[in-house]
Amino acid sequence: MTVKSGRWAALFLAVPLGLYFTFVVGPSLYSFYYGFTDWNFLTGEANFTGLDNFRRLFADADFWSAFQNTIIWTALGLVISVFGGFWLAMALSRLLILERFVKSLFFLPMALSLVVVGFIWTWIYRLDFGFANIVLRMLGYEDLATAWLADRNWALFAVIFAWSWQQVALSMIVFLAGLTSVPKELMEAATIDGARFRHQLNQVIIPSLRPATGVVISLALINSLKSFDIVWVMTGGGPFQQSETLAVLIYRQAFRSYEFGYSSTIAVALFVITLVIIGGSILANRRGAE
Amino acid sequence: MAVYLKKRVAKDFRRQVKSWMLTLAMLGLAAIFLIPAWGVLFTSLRTDADIAFNGVWAPSGNVTVDNYLSLIFDVRVHSYMRNSFLVTIPATIISVAMGTLAGYVIAKLRVRGGNLLLLVIVSGLFIPPQILLIPLFQLFNFMGLYNTLWPMIIVHSAYGLSLCTLVMRNFFDKVPDELLEAALMDGASHPRILWSVALPLSRPALGALATLQFTFIWNDFLYPLIFTRSEEAQTIMVGILSLGGQYSTAFGAQAALSVIASLPTLLVFFIFQKQFIKGLTAGAVKG
Amino acid sequence: MSMVAKKRARTLILAGVGLSAVMILGACASGSTETASSHVVAEHYFSGDLGAQAFAEIWPLCEQQTGITMDNPTIDHEAFKDAILVQLAGGNAPDLFSYWAGARTQSLIDNGQLDPIDDMWSAAGLDAAIPASIADSAATYGGSKYLLPFVYHYAGMFFNPAVLEEAGITEIPTDWDGLMSMAETLKAQGITPFALGSTDRWPAQFWFDYLILRTAGPEYRAALMSGEASYDDPEVVAALELWKEAIDAGYFNTSPNGSGWTDAADQVARGEAAMTLMGTWITGYWDGNGLVAGTDYDFFPFPQINSDVALASVGPVDGWVMPSGAKNQAGAKQVLECLASPEAQKVMALLQGAIAANSNTDLSSQNAVMQKAAKQVADSEAFVFNYDLATPPAVAEVGLNMFVEFIDNPSDIAGILSSTATKAAAAF
Repeated sequence: MTVKSGRWAALFLAVPLGLYFTFVVGPSLYSFYYGFTDWNFLTGEANFTGLDNFRRLFADADFWSAFQNTIIWTALGLVISVFGGFWLAMALSRLLILERFVKSLFFLPMALSLVVVGFIWTWIYRLDFGFANIVLRMLGYEDLATAWLADRNWALFAVIFAWSWQQVALSMIVFLAGLTSVPKELMEAATIDGARFRHQLNQVIIPSLRPATGVVISLALINSLKSFDIVWVMTGGGPFQQSETLAVLIYRQAFRSYEFGYSSTIAVALFVITLVIIGGSILANRRGAE
Repeated sequence: MAVYLKKRVAKDFRRQVKSWMLTLAMLGLAAIFLIPAWGVLFTSLRTDADIAFNGVWAPSGNVTVDNYLSLIFDVRVHSYMRNSFLVTIPATIISVAMGTLAGYVIAKLRVRGGNLLLLVIVSGLFIPPQILLIPLFQLFNFMGLYNTLWPMIIVHSAYGLSLCTLVMRNFFDKVPDELLEAALMDGASHPRILWSVALPLSRPALGALATLQFTFIWNDFLYPLIFTRSEEAQTIMVGILSLGGQYSTAFGAQAALSVIASLPTLLVFFIFQKQFIKGLTAGAVKG
Repeated sequence: MSMVAKKRARTLILAGVGLSAVMILGACASGSTETASSHVVAEHYFSGDLGAQAFAEIWPLCEQQTGITMDNPTIDHEAFKDAILVQLAGGNAPDLFSYWAGARTQSLIDNGQLDPIDDMWSAAGLDAAIPASIADSAATYGGSKYLLPFVYHYAGMFFNPAVLEEAGITEIPTDWDGLMSMAETLKAQGITPFALGSTDRWPAQFWFDYLILRTAGPEYRAALMSGEASYDDPEVVAALELWKEAIDAGYFNTSPNGSGWTDAADQVARGEAAMTLMGTWITGYWDGNGLVAGTDYDFFPFPQINSDVALASVGPVDGWVMPSGAKNQAGAKQVLECLASPEAQKVMALLQGAIAANSNTDLSSQNAVMQKAAKQVADSEAFVFNYDLATPPAVAEVGLNMFVEFIDNPSDIAGILSSTATKAAAAF
């Protein structure tokens, strides 16, 4: 492109970057700065405390517990999204009759707000009238029926499962998009004629889905690392912080314990962790492609 | 000859049966997959007293549309829905438009430091929104915009830039340079090239992106919660929360409002389904 | 570009411009500034239908009395806790807002966020109207009045008379042994004695509050709330031991942490459980579900445990405070006077199942159970706030988590208490 393009580039970028720097970068840096202070956000004073907050972070059991929960969430979320989404997409792409209708049924969770998803699943997990427990009792597993969201061991997994319900729909859509590059006749043949074609299919399909997989992984990672809304609505991080993720901890430290400075410190830590994990996954993907 | 035809018919028949079986199986799976959604629907059709007495899943036979009726005529709900539209539509348009501009620059206008710029923009996705609340509140308050719709529009536009830029840049990467260079040589200016050549090609990607953004912005509840306080400015997701009182519950009403609140996004998804899948292929998924 | 496309583009642009114009107008309308003394913004957490109904009556009343137009932003009370802090920190406070009396108000005062209302208090003659116990504990902080008590609640053991009757229980227990044997009788007949729905944590606090109050007394509890006593003191251990006794004997519903307070209330209403320790707002809830006071529900006070100890009553006080940053303090004070009046308080009390702070309020139309509760409070030797309003918010977080953890596994009292003591000390 010619030299003139520089001027146009500047013009095009003016508004987007202006908005972005004023309302995202600026406030982020401002908050990150407070990670080095002891601001309690109701009073005016914020004393610079250097690395004290970070030292506190490393010794904080709540932080490590939330960190562990976040990692579990990320790992589990990743596995369920990729495999669940892939399987669903494969099944749906073979449909020949009523495909559009059936596909849109599976899209539905994606259209729902996390507030709504949280409400719905809270009702499913209830001890007395929760659907999950009704089914367990019907199947004869009485003693497994419990108040899932109040169980210290299972609360986190219950929330992850609810979140995955929505995330799987998203992954499925991405995989479906990737699968549109596979000729329809091949898919039809696999439906009808079985094993031999299926084997051939896998030779073709798996490689062509590499970019889609990359997108699914990135989306799953980002959404799981930042998960706040659904946890807050379902358990508030409880029971007694057992289902607390880093994002929930950040919110709680700021708004319940009034420690905005320390809360920002945790946010910095989360930002770094996210960068590392996503950076790692991009590198791995690129290396795999070579 | 007859034998051949018979075999042919038999094969076609088998094919039909198998196709139907697959569809039916997937419909069954969908029914199970959507059980949570049925739950909300049932709950929305019962009164709160009934739910309290019989529980959420017990079919008590008393179906009522009272929850829906009272919500449809509730002025507050009108306000919430109107605000949600007034925030979501502009914010979607702005974020997609700006993402297109930025994506185009990075992909096609080959500026120096383009990749660094991309990294800076995309890293916005990694920032947990909770820590932006207080600084943004102070900023908007200073600008006199607290308790209006502007903060939500602005923040969603700015925050959405990250994803939109990424997707549009990926898409524009795949548009062959020759197409654009041909237009350049014909004497077209860059804006004209973007508008007349690149954009029409990117319709599917734009459609997919707009759908995602619409859903994301419509469903948000954190920003409206913090940046508004009166009913005139709140959006529908916050409205669902407000239906419950301090010492009362309103499961039936909340379920009904959840259903109503989900209709716009469901509609958008259904209408743009084809575009959406095509757009994802074009924009994000290949290469 | 084709003609059709051009036309389409033009329409889009016009639509965009039109939309922006509408938005700007809308923004101007909702962001309008209040003109000097004729408009007051009073933000509160009385959300839901009950709240809407109540204030649909109260605000017109006040507008009539004072000539001031009211704006009343309402936020769900859980979200309110966070939202109001952001507003105060961000410098855009309403003129008035509802708040919980006790340690939360104290922490706002400590951070310089509230202004005293002594002048309004004397002008309205509230020393005569509001009982001294309420005025001292709820309204006065450091010698000055900061909060106007609006309505308050009392926490008692609300039970289902039909259930007790069927179980053959004729006497209300007056001490701990009596309560335990009553529970044993109920349990033997397959009824859950105590229903507790502690998924939101706070319902559990009443058990802790009354156990400590009845065993160690109000003075010790005050010390514990202010940080002078420690959570691993023998008094606290003793209280938890009693609680553990009841839990181990199976007198509580399975997994209290898995249900909300309304679920517990529903269990009592359905007859599956006999009683639940809850505040008087439960009557508002039950009334809304069609239950009848006296027949379908009644209450008795938490029994005495240690006869040397004064019998205190527990309950939250909802009040109104005025932030230092309020734009219209003069108008706010006028509205406060209206909110202090018997007429305004009557509306709220009747709808919510609460007791009005202004003793001149005509609550004769309230049901018998509520009147009994009001008398109970009037007769008690002390009135204290429930746990999460009696101790600073950061400490309350620690305590509330401790209750839930204890309920989940009551066996390791010593361990739980020692870690609570450390965390609480840090939070103070």
